[in-house]
Amino acid sequence: MIVAERKPLEEIIASVSSYRKILVLGCGTCVSVCLTGGDREARHLARQLELSMSERGQPFSCEVATIERQCEGDIVQAYVRVSPDVEAILSTACGAGVQTVAAVYGSLPVIPALNTTFLGASDEPGTWEERCVGCGDCVLAWTAGICPVARCSKQLFNGPCGGSSGGKCEIEGDVDCAWHLILQRLTEIDGLKGSLPMIPPRDWSKERAGGPRMMRKPDKVYAASF
Amino acid sequence: MSFFKVNFNCNGCLACVHNCPSSALTFKDKDNRRTLLHNMSLCARCGNCWRVCPQDAIQFEGILDGQWQEVTSMDLVACKICGEPLYTVNYQDTLNQKIKNGGEALCPLHRKTLSLEAWAHFAGDTTPQRRAKT
Repeated sequence: MIVAERKPLEEIIASVSSYRKILVLGCGTCVSVCLTGGDREARHLARQLELSMSERGQPFSCEVATIERQCEGDIVQAYVRVSPDVEAILSTACGAGVQTVAAVYGSLPVIPALNTTFLGASDEPGTWEERCVGCGDCVLAWTAGICPVARCSKQLFNGPCGGSSGGKCEIEGDVDCAWHLILQRLTEIDGLKGSLPMIPPRDWSKERAGGPRMMRKPDKVYAASF
Repeated sequence: MSFFKVNFNCNGCLACVHNCPSSALTFKDKDNRRTLLHNMSLCARCGNCWRVCPQDAIQFEGILDGQWQEVTSMDLVACKICGEPLYTVNYQDTLNQKIKNGGEALCPLHRKTLSLEAWAHFAGDTTPQRRAKT
């Protein structure tokens, strides 16, 4: 799931302060689940903005709408209603959603209210941790289902490094050493009977080094059977 | 009631069924009739069905803005002084199981500001209730 955090209110206020009316557009999927940009958070943000602008004596109002996915441009175009007097859209979606909405409403400024942070999972209610960076060449089969790209601070493929101590990473904070977890899990799986494979240098062109990535599956779209 | 709705343009071509990535749509042909079936618990609400429908038959707003469905219903316990609904009878039962004498049914206001008067009220003082001191 995509995890995002809200930008500081002051930064959002600075982005929208030149408009008299905006649409705060929530997104109903990932950012709803991580309690950052769903309908509830969009309404809360709208209220905060109206209050702040009212304190500054500026005429300002918000409309609020939430669409299931802001990253589906055709659905946004068909189902999001924007009043004619709306001067900008404040999106509480991830970066993909913001860009999709911006492409749909070419003439309206679209402003992000969130910082998209990572692809993560929740181990306990209210906590999300980074699990995947979308590197394009998954190695989880060799690393006991624990990603060294996302979870090792150095993105080591043959770890651990000398900074691993007591299962924790040397960087500040209570961060688990990914390679400690990998070795622990491999031991649980087969007692580390199989030798740890040496993972060769990777082809990073499948990550971001090859430029923006795209996936096409035209053969998976079936024509109507008539 | 189905959240997935089609209009009269639907001709049963099954483009939606074949293109649903979540297998949330299927059909059955029986007694010379084709019936389209949708499973909301499988539906990812991705809009692929709506996108590929050659007949513009799918009314996707039914998926986006579906109606509330009643899940369950139970009796409420109200504040003994003002009648404000507090929690359900079932919740009170759970509370009483976990805490001996789970407490009287009083709203936060009356628990805080009118407790003595509340006790007087329970003790049989029939004088008219005074408003809570705030």
